[in-house]
Amino acid sequence: MPLLPIIMPQLGESIAEATIVSAAFSVGDRVEADTDLLEVETNKAVMAVTAPCGGILKELSAVIGESYAVGATLGYLEISEEDAERLGLNDAPPAPVEQPKKKQNSGGDTSQAGKKTVKPTVSGLPVPAHAGGATFLSPRMKARMAELGLHAADLAGVAGSGAGGRVTIDDLERFLQDLERNTISPASSMRVAVADAMRRSWTRPLATVVLPVQLDILLAHRKQQTVKAGPALYALRALSIALSEMPATAGRLIGDRVIHPRSVDIGFAVEAEDGVLVPVIRHADQFPLVDLVERYNRLVELARARRLPGSDTGGSIATITNYGVFGLTMATPIPLPEQTLLLGIGAGKITPSWDADKKEFVPVTEAQFTLSFDHRVLDGGAAGRLLQRVSQLLGTPEKL
Amino acid sequence: MSITYLEAIRLAQQRVLAEDPRVFIYGQDIGGFGGAFKATKNLAKEFPGRVLDAPISEDAMVGMAIGAAVEGMRPIVEMQFADFSTCGLNQIVNQAATLHYRTGTPCPLVVRLPSGGTPGGGPFHSQSMEALYAHYPGLVVMTPATVEDAYTMLLEAVALDDPVIFCEHKFLYYHLKAEKLPEEALPFGKARITRPGRDATVVAYSAMVHEALAAAEELSQDGYDIEVVDLRTVKPIDTDTILASVARTGRLLVVSEDWPWGGVAAEVITRVAAEGFGLLDAPPQRLNARETPVPYHPALWGTHRPTASSVANSLRQLLEL
Repeated sequence: MPLLPIIMPQLGESIAEATIVSAAFSVGDRVEADTDLLEVETNKAVMAVTAPCGGILKELSAVIGESYAVGATLGYLEISEEDAERLGLNDAPPAPVEQPKKKQNSGGDTSQAGKKTVKPTVSGLPVPAHAGGATFLSPRMKARMAELGLHAADLAGVAGSGAGGRVTIDDLERFLQDLERNTISPASSMRVAVADAMRRSWTRPLATVVLPVQLDILLAHRKQQTVKAGPALYALRALSIALSEMPATAGRLIGDRVIHPRSVDIGFAVEAEDGVLVPVIRHADQFPLVDLVERYNRLVELARARRLPGSDTGGSIATITNYGVFGLTMATPIPLPEQTLLLGIGAGKITPSWDADKKEFVPVTEAQFTLSFDHRVLDGGAAGRLLQRVSQLLGTPEKL
Repeated sequence: MSITYLEAIRLAQQRVLAEDPRVFIYGQDIGGFGGAFKATKNLAKEFPGRVLDAPISEDAMVGMAIGAAVEGMRPIVEMQFADFSTCGLNQIVNQAATLHYRTGTPCPLVVRLPSGGTPGGGPFHSQSMEALYAHYPGLVVMTPATVEDAYTMLLEAVALDDPVIFCEHKFLYYHLKAEKLPEEALPFGKARITRPGRDATVVAYSAMVHEALAAAEELSQDGYDIEVVDLRTVKPIDTDTILASVARTGRLLVVSEDWPWGGVAAEVITRVAAEGFGLLDAPPQRLNARETPVPYHPALWGTHRPTASSVANSLRQLLEL
């Protein structure tokens, strides 16, 4: 009796593999045509592998919990000669991948010759495992993208059909055409500017370290002041002192040289309509905290009104962002493209802390401080030391 | 009736001799003997005194023809083989090519070069000289690939007031046949899209057009649509048609039987890279003859020149890039 391979079917566009969830039958069972043999799961949906004709389940090689590439053989059905004839089982070598020989603009087919199935990798990959995507762009693609004002990042979601999985001009045009079915609104110039900065920054290996910082002393100090600084300004001042002690930490790596900062100018993120502005406090290491409050408040107002003069923005060596104001306790924000460091402040909350003297838990106000950094310039150790020093300085707010 | 490429050349000459009294043909053994390849067979008898045997001096042949052209005649000079035209190089490139520039006097001269390789032709009877002559300002260089073009382009060459190097391919002389000769032709200097396609462009001319077409046919079995552009005239070169084709396909292979150095293929690629970089999906490629003298042995010759199978291989690589 002929054996019909049970093949992992194409479960949808851009699905490369699926995980076996359950099997409805055991080896030796009789199955009818069109019954569900296996339940498989992609990260989009749970679907079934069905029997193309009736027969006896002869072999089940698929293991539950494992993932298999589209086209992989999951087992065999013993079927009648008539069904084998009808399904063309005898004219072709066993288990051809169910993919019509398709004409491709750039010949991906021939490069795939002899390599019928994708090797399963991690489970539930939503894009073909070996697609190159928009990693290589031909001059033609670049010209078309420049014409449309697109960047490689815009095509991140396009799985190429070209040689080596390249995104071809046809892929691009199809993708663009498909977008037209969605609601489309223009992005604000602010949005485009932020996108540009973040995309450029993301070309670097970025990492983040986290440290819980107790804020009780700082908050008590703040209460006593007539001119009150916000936690972000305390942090800004502390960071500026720490960086004046170790300026190379905020340096930039250009080629094989570390470029040290010229002065400790620290920026801080201010949310403005549909984006973020970063006003700068120049020489923040040279003025006591109390002298910075008025400057800080004025810059916040100017930024919110989007009337920040050019002289008060740009050229900073690090930025403070207080995402705690959004109620967020921890984040891994992206430094500006020309900066190595970004100090983030999470929302403060009262939390139990072990008091070794009293031998009991006491309530303290604590916030997660994060330092996101360019890992080319410094490592977790150096970043951690800088963050520890900031924490230490915040412990003596009267000295800031 | 079936007309060969060679016959088309003979008929074109017969027609211009009949229609234009200023035309005469000059070359070695072209009179009573009818030429080395019989391109002037019976023409001496039909047009007495106008199909003249020349001494074995290409220098003298071209020099005399230039003088006649200056005096208002329309001479056709037949070289026995393109290879021998270098013996008349001084007259062609220093006199004929520069005459109008220097004196304002046109030089309506046609030099016919039986060009390209045939099995057993060897180093002195196989060369392709189009790139050499195209190098010099003042010369038109024609490279017909079809019987029809051989006919109409030779008529056109005689009608032009500029000196024309007419590269007729010896391999096509007897192989290529047409049912009838056309009365109309593409405009002067215009390339032809011989086969439309959308996956890659092959630019070729002369005998290589047929190798390219065979390769395109082979690749069509794999589902590829290859566009074949026949330059027809290598100088002037039809850059617009080439760029338009590359704009459609994004990929370019240029095939030439000539050697690679400073050749027509190099010129085509330079133009596409300079003027159409943004049209390219892959680095433009060229396939030329090997960079050695043309070998005698037919088997060696078959691997020396581009063939349908080597064009198909190059195309496959190009489609993978």
